[in-house]
Amino acid sequence: MPDNWSFVFAAYGLAALVLGGYWRRLARRERELATRERGSGGARRAPARRGESGSADPATMTRPS
Amino acid sequence: MKRLQRALGWLAVAGLAAGLVMAFGVAPREATQGNVQRIMYLHVPAIYLWRRAAGADRLAHASAEVGVVFTSINIATGAIWGKPTWGAWWTWDARLTSVSIMFVIYLAYLLLRAMIEDRERAARFAAVLGIIAALDIPLVHFSVYWWRTLHQPPTLLRPGSTPMDAMLVAALTINLIAFTLLSAYFVAKRVRLLKREQEVLA
Repeated sequence: MPDNWSFVFAAYGLAALVLGGYWRRLARRERELATRERGSGGARRAPARRGESGSADPATMTRPS
Repeated sequence: MKRLQRALGWLAVAGLAAGLVMAFGVAPREATQGNVQRIMYLHVPAIYLWRRAAGADRLAHASAEVGVVFTSINIATGAIWGKPTWGAWWTWDARLTSVSIMFVIYLAYLLLRAMIEDRERAARFAAVLGIIAALDIPLVHFSVYWWRTLHQPPTLLRPGSTPMDAMLVAALTINLIAFTLLSAYFVAKRVRLLKREQEVLA
């Protein structure tokens, strides 16, 4: 049977796109919530700890410029 | 919680890197299917993860969402693997059909949650739908035993020893661990975000 590398790369590429897309969606939602929290002056919740929004969490390291 | 989530994220990244090395660098070319069999290291780990949708409301919500992401990868990669090996992108086989039904039920679960504004009502209705969706899980697992299917029976979750080569099992196991870590990371992050959403939007 031929190796069908194009199918292999298509499968891995598609998975990377879906997982990366979901990762970015969570990171964007996190930034939106942080903005809302800052906007409300932390009335309902204690402000984010120093370094929390710019943490070393892999999901928040790839934010678009 | 944040520290644990961060650790999970980095462990998942390391696991995925190790999984890729095992899948493409260490595991040998499969004798019958050739290199297209390497899709297995992605396809199989993605399907084991929908079993996580259970527990408290936020955990159930997050697990269902992450489960939909991984099941979509499983269905898509299954189709990509099916074309060169079976000669068809899709067939109404019992396993494929039962997974699709489960996928649609979990999509409905997320839609239901999004449609109902009252959080307590949404949680109650979603819990009922979640139970119905969970009933489909054994159906998916046993479908390959109960009906004659094109899809193969389980290779790892079966009584007795597996017929797979040890190196293929090792590559698959590492990818299973990596995907489990990644799903745990996503669920932990989503649970924390749901909690913050409820606090901010309350």
